[in-house]
Amino acid sequence: MSRPVAALPASDLGRAVDRSARVSQVLDLGAGSWELTLECPEIATRARPGEFLQVQVDPAPVPLLRRPFSVCRADPAAGTLGIYFGVTGIGTARLAGLTVGDEVRVLGPLGRGYSLPPGPARALCVAGGLGAAPFPFLARALSAAGATVHWLNGAATAGRLYPVERLGAPVDVTVVTQDGSRGVRGVVTDVLPDLLTAADRVYACGPNPMLAAVAALCASAPTPVALEVSLEAPMGCGFGTCLGCALPVGGPEALALCCRQGPVLAAEAVDWPALLALPPAHVA
Amino acid sequence: MTAAAPATLDPRVDLGRGLVLPNPVGVASGTFGYGFELEQLVDIQRLGAIFSKGTTPRSRPGNRPPRVAETTAGMLNAIGLQNPGVEAVASEYAPRWAGWRVPVVVNVAAEDIPGYVAVVRRLAGVPGVAGVELNISCPNIAHGLDFGQDPQAAARCVEAVRRATPAPLIVKLSPNVTDIGAVAAAVAAAGADAVSVVNTYLGLKVSLALRRPVLPGAGTGGLSGPAIKPLALAAVRRVRQAVSIPVVGVGGIQTAADALEFFVVGADAVQVGTATFRNPAAALEVLDGCLAYAAAQGLRRWTDLRATARPADAPGPTVGPGA
Repeated sequence: MSRPVAALPASDLGRAVDRSARVSQVLDLGAGSWELTLECPEIATRARPGEFLQVQVDPAPVPLLRRPFSVCRADPAAGTLGIYFGVTGIGTARLAGLTVGDEVRVLGPLGRGYSLPPGPARALCVAGGLGAAPFPFLARALSAAGATVHWLNGAATAGRLYPVERLGAPVDVTVVTQDGSRGVRGVVTDVLPDLLTAADRVYACGPNPMLAAVAALCASAPTPVALEVSLEAPMGCGFGTCLGCALPVGGPEALALCCRQGPVLAAEAVDWPALLALPPAHVA
Repeated sequence: MTAAAPATLDPRVDLGRGLVLPNPVGVASGTFGYGFELEQLVDIQRLGAIFSKGTTPRSRPGNRPPRVAETTAGMLNAIGLQNPGVEAVASEYAPRWAGWRVPVVVNVAAEDIPGYVAVVRRLAGVPGVAGVELNISCPNIAHGLDFGQDPQAAARCVEAVRRATPAPLIVKLSPNVTDIGAVAAAVAAAGADAVSVVNTYLGLKVSLALRRPVLPGAGTGGLSGPAIKPLALAAVRRVRQAVSIPVVGVGGIQTAADALEFFVVGADAVQVGTATFRNPAAALEVLDGCLAYAAAQGLRRWTDLRATARPADAPGPTVGPGA
């Protein structure tokens, strides 16, 4: 369970730029979730799956800090970026209130993203609710790299599922909802063991309890499967100077910065009990 | 002190003991790491100074998360002085700074006077270290005493450090005191070359959903950001009236206008802190705005903006080229 922090490579900021981006589409996906498309060719070209953006939602200092979002889509040809988010506070409420033509500042790409398999592979993406955010981008990249992709898309209820039709990549999809309003009734870990038998690597993003359960299943599978998880933390800067977004990894004192060593970490690097003891990032 | 002032602005600022900043806009401790972090993103060599992350005798892992919480026009932090320790800073970081144009001032924190002395001794004479900024208001309590809270304790600490290093010595003051002017006067008398005014304000954020403070432990954190600018301005003005050594103003500066207001109340230089989190180029934009203002107003030195008198018993101008 413990891997020293020093073993986690930090991202470099060499590809990051801070640009004004025009909002080109605001999509209400229902149940308080939104997808925003931003015109930002430089970052769209530079971003890699699992990396994130720091979005300044208001020129006034309220809210003061930028908001971090996984890159949901990056279309170098169109020069656009997509972010997928739920309204959880004043920052995301402001974003949801933007209209086409508005401008926001976008800093990115930031952080360490998912590692793509070197050759053909069977990839499994496990999404919980808003945790679907990095997977449209990742699924496209995996497909382009020759991997087959299975997407396990879970949410509390059908309205909170990321719309499969927006994925834009050839993927097999298994849908799970806790209330059974679509797909299998249950949680992603109910169906995960079966899917693991046909997966070489697993990518997951969602609530911490879900990620911990996925990590336990991947580690205890008859043939353990490599798992990378995308995590979140209350974040000040996004580029490693405020040291605010520490995540528990390894032993009792080992911490990694979500913004530099993360947001994607190998599951075995994470101190899951300590992570589960933290309040949800958006509460802080 | 030049007899003939230059016809155009001299942007430099003399903080004493040979520490001359190329311009008055630096970045505050705890917001810019050790300079390397943002090297790829902004032109750090144009900065007036980099005040490093607080550096302690030995490495510290910092506090358990969560460590930051946003407030209205501000943020609370309880990082817990995460840093690699002075040995790594002196042996690995400083050699890289030695080739930089921007002066790097190492912010120093410790739990007791021997700790402060050990850090500044290790840094003394190390190429690349332009000076030290003493954080006497760190959250660590030695024998129930926070040096920054009491003028006599602060003076004892500064005296000990002054004896231990020939480096330019700036003392960063805590605002969480009854009279910051008294602390400033005490550290000036004890040998500080300059003071930074101010560190963060003690604050608390409560989660109604959780029915407890958001930050762990005591729940309190240091408040920074635009919310504290009026408080910091008042502190700088008070300190300016209390001492004649240079004052580095810090607290909530986001724009050039904010920085210029600090010069009006007596600051000789400024630090941009939390604004960097929002905009990594904030300090450079503040600098460019200040330079544009100076050109438009025909300023020859930043002290031309000063509206606050020096103390009557001050020995005379001691700061700023041409002052």
